[in-house]
Amino acid sequence: MRKNVSFIIGIILVFIIIITWVLSFLYMPHSPNEMNISERFLKPDFQSEHILGTDNFGRDILSRLMYGSRNVLLVGIGSVTLGTVIGILLGAIAAMFDRFANTIIMRIMDGLMAFPGILLAMMLVTVVGRGIQGSIIAISIFMVPVFSRLVYSMILDTENLLYIKAARSYGSSGKEIFIRHYIPAMLPRLITQFSSSIGSAVMIETSLSFLGLGVQPPHASWGLMLSEARQFFLTYPYLAVAPGIAIIITVLGFNLIGDGLNDILINRRNDDE
Amino acid sequence: MNETVLVKNLHIKAGKNTLVSKTSLTIKKGEIFGLVGESGSGKTITAKAIIDLLPEGLTYTADEIITAGKNILTASREEKKEHIGKNIGYIPQNTVFYLHPMIKIKNQIGDGYMYHMKKTKKEALKRAESLLIKVGFKSPKTVLNYYPWQLSGGMRQRCNIAMALMNDPKLIIADEPSTALDTTVQKQVMELFKTINKSLGISMLLISHDLGLIKHYCHSIGVMYAGQIIESGSREELFNNPKHPYTQLLMKIVPSLSIKKNEPLTEIPGYVPEKGRDSRGCLFVKRCPKAMEVCSQTVEEHEEKGHYYRCNL
Amino acid sequence: MLTYVLSRIKSSIVVLFVVSVITFFVLMIIPGNPAQLILGTDATAEMVADLTESMGLNKPLYQQYLGWLLDLLKLDMGTSYVYGEEVTRLIIRSIPVTISISIFAMAIAVFIAFIFGTIAAIKKNSIIDYFSRSIMQLGVAIPSFWIGMVFIVYFGMKLRIFPVSGYVPINENFLNSLKSIILPSVVLAIGELGTLLRIVRSSMLDSLKQDYMDMAKVKGLSAGKIYIKYALRGALTAPLTIIGMQFAKLAGGTVVVETIFALPGLGRLVLTAVEHRDIILLQGLVMFITASVIFITLIVDILIMFINPRIKSFQQGEL
Repeated sequence: MRKNVSFIIGIILVFIIIITWVLSFLYMPHSPNEMNISERFLKPDFQSEHILGTDNFGRDILSRLMYGSRNVLLVGIGSVTLGTVIGILLGAIAAMFDRFANTIIMRIMDGLMAFPGILLAMMLVTVVGRGIQGSIIAISIFMVPVFSRLVYSMILDTENLLYIKAARSYGSSGKEIFIRHYIPAMLPRLITQFSSSIGSAVMIETSLSFLGLGVQPPHASWGLMLSEARQFFLTYPYLAVAPGIAIIITVLGFNLIGDGLNDILINRRNDDE
Repeated sequence: MNETVLVKNLHIKAGKNTLVSKTSLTIKKGEIFGLVGESGSGKTITAKAIIDLLPEGLTYTADEIITAGKNILTASREEKKEHIGKNIGYIPQNTVFYLHPMIKIKNQIGDGYMYHMKKTKKEALKRAESLLIKVGFKSPKTVLNYYPWQLSGGMRQRCNIAMALMNDPKLIIADEPSTALDTTVQKQVMELFKTINKSLGISMLLISHDLGLIKHYCHSIGVMYAGQIIESGSREELFNNPKHPYTQLLMKIVPSLSIKKNEPLTEIPGYVPEKGRDSRGCLFVKRCPKAMEVCSQTVEEHEEKGHYYRCNL
Repeated sequence: MLTYVLSRIKSSIVVLFVVSVITFFVLMIIPGNPAQLILGTDATAEMVADLTESMGLNKPLYQQYLGWLLDLLKLDMGTSYVYGEEVTRLIIRSIPVTISISIFAMAIAVFIAFIFGTIAAIKKNSIIDYFSRSIMQLGVAIPSFWIGMVFIVYFGMKLRIFPVSGYVPINENFLNSLKSIILPSVVLAIGELGTLLRIVRSSMLDSLKQDYMDMAKVKGLSAGKIYIKYALRGALTAPLTIIGMQFAKLAGGTVVVETIFALPGLGRLVLTAVEHRDIILLQGLVMFITASVIFITLIVDILIMFINPRIKSFQQGEL
């Protein structure tokens, strides 16, 4: 019961982010890139026109925050989706084909796993270029080994399950077995991993943007907003508050959902974590 | 005092669900008391209640629990811990995980002894060595230097026995001590218990589902069903004059050499009930061949010269 | 036992080889000619051709790779064009900063994780448990650059306890050196704490459920013995493995923290290399950092084998 509480908190947090994202298409108080030098560094004030204040160019922080949610979610969800698809394919190929394919693929995955996360992302961004596309590709490649290993080991485990052996023995076809037995057996873990991975993808995206390697100015991204705030935040600390909280809400939300799903779908009765 | 263990009217509950009810048992000094029953009949948790080792979520109440001369119910937590650690040895069923897999035998066999008897490590090891010889090891020094997983199941169980003997306990509780072992080792272990009981005069509570084994080694026997001791008494009384239909059926089931060719093996139809164990009636009523209408309402308790049974017959 | 060590070494070498292949070829498919990049846009076609020739860029890729690999084995990683210095020397100069903040951060995180993780498991659902569980989630969700900025404002500017940026080498002034790495280390530690706490707590919970805990309780030992000698001992393996991996990866993850605190460590070098597309520097750095990760993980695995004697027996086919 208690752990469903954190799952619900996760849902609420992600819901907040999704509302922000939807609103960014329907209504934003100001244009996110509209500069107004006369209105620089306005403090947050709920009575005023700029609820969360303005930045060094006089841009409305709330609008930039809303606009930034688009990039964060696009990169976060996009890269994990891409990584999941490629990962599942590679993992399935490795598990179902001959030893040669298996060795090559799984060794490459081991290699990719050996890189510290942000280092791999930075290296890949160097190759594919900065910006949204670059971030999506770089982070998705980072995600591939996680999913391919998961799928690989799950297929091998499932292979040994009695009901699969039974299905084979009374002559179900390979495709039928895959759809009727493998997919349902793997789905809970995949969904759980997917949700948690979005959390880490968002974290890498904001780090890349913060380092100036992700979303490029003048576009808005939370990491970039923090990076721009760096020069001024000693005098105007509020510049760093909103984007930081937005990142925490997003990462925390997806992680909590991932943990909650793990409890609900995988260890149903384990009440320890 | 003539009893090592005296339990009166023990109830064990998991939340609202009753697991063990109205259970009383007496273990006389120097005797081996056998507790027999099917799995799920509450043997193990009854024993665990006596040594205050009930798993999280289970609670017990009783009118009286006295072990080795101390009233456990009125003792403080700390006193209880001291008393049990010092006076009761516990020998579990599963031999694999009760010894800590990452600690050498010599570093875990003597810590209770050092703690309760205020002894040095050297003294503890000396005693451990002599006990390991007693339980049948030829080179105790080598055994002490092993990790548990380097020993076979039988060897681990003998280490457990030696460990239980460290403090010269008044009582040893052995929960299916030979089940996980193969037959020849099983026999060795059981003979060892017999010897310990005879030579050291230690009382024992032996838990088993194996009526044959209980019959062979115990002086007194309690038959447990659905969380109640439904019949208890001396071995002779119980085997020569079983009163409760369950006990009678149980004795028929034990495969004996006298079984005739083509004679079908008896079985008791149905299952041990898991719910409604707090009923006032007899819990065996649904499976009892001699059940009467009154049986589901009340049940009579009889006690005659130490032979106890609860049945309306 | 030896077989286990040998097989771990073998697989580490395989991974290292794969890493070198990935690093080399990924960075070679980069658009544009590295020689052109180095010389800049004003260079004549002739100059570019000369440099291409001398760098061996016109040879087939696999030959370039073999040459690079051989040089790497001789610890020759080439010359960075941004700094105009040998990559090896740049790395050697930057290591102390990164190593000191990583070790310090790890020490803080491990210390707190073991204390809180153990207590949280023993007193499940107590205030300490709830606190630890919140830290588990928040530690992973708070971006290190954000907490770094908050720390700078609060501790550096408001309280003026710690320097806001820069690194003081240990041999210059020990106290100031320590002060200069405390804030970055704490920031790094917060990031690691979540994962460590989680693993310590869950393996402790697992250990508390084991049968040997029943035995320790029946023996009536003191709480210290029960929880430390028996429970914690049984809960060590998983956290130690994770600590090894985390530490190794930490060394590569200091980019962000080094950037905020303006520390001249490996992370800063990586950022410079990426910003300026200094492929040679980046190749060297990635290889060096990843090789260190693999090496540390290997050492930790072997050390754990000594702590957890059961791995030995699995290798010997016992149990």
